[in-house]
Parts: sequence; structure tokens; C-alpha cells
Amino acid sequence: MTESAIRLLELTKLFDGAGEPAVTALTLDIPRGSIVALIGPSGCGKTTTLRMINRLIEPTSGRIEIDGEDASLRPVAELRRGIGYVIQEVGLFPHQTVHQNIGTVPRMLRWERARVDERVAELAGLVGLEPEQLGRYPDELSGGQQQRVGVARALAADPPVLLMDEPFGAVDPIVRARLQDELLALQERLRKTIVLVTHDIDEAVKVADRVAVLNVGGILEQYAPPDELLHAPASAFVEEFLGDDREIRRLALKRVGDLPFEQGPVLDIGRAPAEARALLDDARSEWIGLTSGGSFVGWAHRDHVEEAATLAALPRELPAAQVRASSTLREAMEVIMNSRTSVAVIDDGGRFGGIVTLEQIRSGLAGRDA
Amino acid sequence: MIALPIAQAAVPRGIGLLEWLGDLDTWLGPDGILSSGLDTVTLCAAVMGTGILLALPPAALLAHLRRGELTATALVTLGRAVPTFAVAALLVPVALRRGWGFEPWPIFLALLLLALPPLYLNTYTAIRHVDQGTVDAARAMGFGERSILFRVEFALAISVVFTGIRVAAVQVVATEPIRAFLGGDGLGRYVRDGLGQNNETLIIGGALLIAALAATTSLVVTLLERVTVPHGVRRLRLQTASRRGSIG
Repeated sequence: MTESAIRLLELTKLFDGAGEPAVTALTLDIPRGSIVALIGPSGCGKTTTLRMINRLIEPTSGRIEIDGEDASLRPVAELRRGIGYVIQEVGLFPHQTVHQNIGTVPRMLRWERARVDERVAELAGLVGLEPEQLGRYPDELSGGQQQRVGVARALAADPPVLLMDEPFGAVDPIVRARLQDELLALQERLRKTIVLVTHDIDEAVKVADRVAVLNVGGILEQYAPPDELLHAPASAFVEEFLGDDREIRRLALKRVGDLPFEQGPVLDIGRAPAEARALLDDARSEWIGLTSGGSFVGWAHRDHVEEAATLAALPRELPAAQVRASSTLREAMEVIMNSRTSVAVIDDGGRFGGIVTLEQIRSGLAGRDA
Repeated sequence: MIALPIAQAAVPRGIGLLEWLGDLDTWLGPDGILSSGLDTVTLCAAVMGTGILLALPPAALLAHLRRGELTATALVTLGRAVPTFAVAALLVPVALRRGWGFEPWPIFLALLLLALPPLYLNTYTAIRHVDQGTVDAARAMGFGERSILFRVEFALAISVVFTGIRVAAVQVVATEPIRAFLGGDGLGRYVRDGLGQNNETLIIGGALLIAALAATTSLVVTLLERVTVPHGVRRLRLQTASRRGSIG
């Protein structure tokens, strides 16, 4: 995570005839294998910054290093072939089939036909395109599918770096969420260095490892992991940009497994009812959880526990509100809100892991490194 | 050089149109339709060839560089207002003084002037309107400027370029017959001679021949497009046409 793949050093861009620079002395380290989101209001130079990385725009001053090498010294075509580029307009060649589109860069690199075909088929599988779609033309596909083709085309020659300019801006929210999930799954496998421009803070928080918030004129306000950004905005500008519900957004970032969750008032059904009563008093709880052989089997109410002979005989309340260690706090909160017990049970493949309460979620958000 | 008396097509006044067109002598021989038609086609082909060479490269290049918007706009206005006959007539004394003769320079230049605006404009506009995202993506994939121009912009614009060629060619073919009134021959001679001899058959026959050649020209360019433009590009054009509800 610490080694940088791309470094922007004092990068400034002043367009001809513009009074103010579009990007002002921007310095940014983009770690290898991570996703960095550039976000900010319009006019903040995020797209300009992105386009300076593959030299679609040449900087006025400052430097870009890719793998420690000055990008301006490399032949531009060669530089660009090592950098995938995905844009909102997708920009597929409308007169070429999906297959031809994806194979553009390999063909340009004069790969043999069989190798191109093989690579195209592989990429189609990777981004979730059906084989029969390869013979179609771009306009015969839906917006989401076109964007998948765009991503496949950008990845064709296996570039280590991927630049994405509002890649999911033109599709509806449901498709956008799915494409974001797919990008994350893809990144899990490919570990590319991805720089993504977006104006959607939810998108940035969801997909990025680090978020750079830019102010008008390309002035860097804050560069931090999403959780830190939401929890501790560095300036009034960032705070306002993130909105009032930034703490709520953090719920989607943290996982149940991150919490210092506890066992709670939970007993194996083989134990004595007296133990259960003691536990209930201790926890000042109305409900007690029952496990059997390590699995959670249900909740029992205090009233029943008072008169029960064995715990196994207790009437049990099912289904219990369940979450997994990998669930987000947001999901856990939703489950808790909908359950009578005000607790969610952590269950991973039948194994009881502990319980989560609203109080735990609250303190989990409060602690920086919970 | 002094203008020579022009050989006239001598046709008896009473002869009917079908009879005239049905006579083999009307078609063959030095003053026949085939020979006159060949004159016309040769001149028009020369005009179109020159026009394409002159108009397409600068139009494509300027559109690629996103320059010269004003030139294009000016051409639209100008192109509609070129008085071809007047230009040709004005050029006659110039050509004579320089010893180029009556023919075919004045008419060649006048027709060229007629052909250039549609050729230039269609090429310029078509390339200018190629989706910027597509061009951007190509550039970002490492396409050189030349590749972008030929393999992306021109490839996507080719159908509209062909429309320009068709419009220009039909205009040129339909206008070329004025050559017969400026000391030349070609297909226009029949109308001219018909007028001179007050021979209706010649006038109507000549006019029909000109119309037929213009229609054929349009067809030939369309066929040429079908042969040369690849499937992927052609289906785009069909689609655009059906979306706009036209058959342009």
C-alpha cells in the first residue's frame, strides 16, 4: 500500500485564456494497487488532473511520475497503452463489433489473431459479457453492458493503471451499484492502480481506498481513506461537501467484524435455568439467547425462564435477527431496527459469533480505529 | 485562337423523339450521343476528381484540428450563390487571352467551384460531429493523430462524405451542359442545336439525356458507397436515417 504507482508533484494547469489555474500545485501519491477517487464540485479540475496522467492534457508546470519515471519523457503512445481509460461516454467505436472494440489495443500491438481472440473471450468473461454479445454492435447493448465493454477494452493489454472518468455516471442507480460492485470484485482479482473521477460522494466512499477532495481551481482540501474523511473532515469546505449525513454514510463503510462485539446474554441449552436467570439479571436484559452445539437456536423471554425446568424446554422465538461478520454496520442497524430483541446475532455459516447492539454500533462509529 | 464554327447536329425537323433516339446513327459517330456523353462524363469526372483532391484533405484536417468553423459557415452561404454560368462566361475571355482556347477550362473551373462547397462542407461537418468521446477514447488508447483521423474520424464520417460526393456529382453533371453554350460540346449540344433549329425533338431528347445521366450518376455514387463502405459503418447510416425518418 505504501509504494506509489503514480505521483503528482506540484502539478499545475493553466488553460490558454483562463485567468485562474484549473489545477493548482497538486501533489498526490497514488499507492500501487489501490483505488483513489478524485472528487469535488465542478470546476475543481478533477477531470483535468486525470487527463494529465495519460497526457491528453499537458501540464503547465509540475511533474507526473509513473513507476518513478517522468511521464513527460516517455513516448506518448507507449505511455497511453500502459494506461487503461474508461469514460462516462464510453466512447466505443460504433462501427465495430464488441469483439473488435475490446481487441483494439491488442491488435494495435500486433498480437496474433488467435491470441487476440483468446484475450477478448477472457475479458468478456471477466466483465460479465455473454459470448454471443461479442458479435453485436455497441448500440445493440444496454448502457450498463456498453460500460462493461468499455472496461474490458481498457483492460485489454493488461495495463497496470486504469483511469476512470465518471465511469458509471450515465447509467441508472441500480445498474450503477451493480457496476460498482463488479469493479470492486474485479479489483480484488486484478489489483490495478485505479484513479477514478466522480462527483458522487457515495461512489467515492464505496469504491475508493483513498479519496482526494478538490476545491475549485484544483486545490487539494483533503486526501484520506473514506472513513477518516467522513469522521474527521479537514476543512469547512470538506465538511460542507460531504453533507450533514456523513456519519450515517460511515455505517456503510464499517463491518460488524470491526466492532468489539461481545458474547452477550447467551447460554447453551444444556445449562441450568438458574445460570440463565443470573445472566439476565447481570445483563439487565429481557431476552436470553440459546445456543446448541455452537449454533444459535433462538431467543427466550425472561418470563418463561423464571418457571422453566430446563432451558431446552423453553419456547423459543425465531427467526433471530442475523448478520454476518462481513455485514456492514448499516445492514446490522437495519436488522436491529426490525427485530424485537434490539440485538443482532452474528452468525457465520451456522456458527454463533456474538451479538451486536445499537450501543456497540454507536461506539464503533465514535472510535476512529474501531 | 479564333472560335471555329460549331458543327451542328442536323436532324430533320419533323422527326419524332422515339424515332430519333431509336436511330443508331444518333448514338454512334463523332457527333453521336455516346461520343457527346463521353465528353460530358470525362469532364465531370475530371471536375469531381480534382474537387475531391482539393476539398477533402483540408476539410478533414481542419475538422480534426477543430479549426475553421467560420470558413465552413461562409462556404455554406457562398456555395449556394455561385452563378456557374456567369463564372464560366467570365472566364472565357480570360482563357482566350491566355491561349487556352474556348474550352474546356472556363467550364471546368466553373464546375469545380460548384462542386467544392458540398464536398468540403459534408466532409468537414461529418468529421466535426464524430462523437468526441470516441475520439478521446481512441487517443487515450495510444492512437496517433493520423490513425484517429483515418481510422476513427474518417471511417465514421465516410457515409456523409459520400453524400457530399453524390450531391456535388449530380450538380456537376446537371450543370455541365451549359458548356454547349460556351463554345463546347457535350450532352448539352442537343438542347442548344434544338433551340437553334427550332427543333423540339432535339430539345426534349437532349434534356431527357441530361436528366438520365444525372440520375445515373446519383445511382453510381450510391453503388460505389455500398461497395467501399464497410458493413459496420453502413449500418450506422441506415440507423441514423431510420431514426430521423428520412432516407437520405
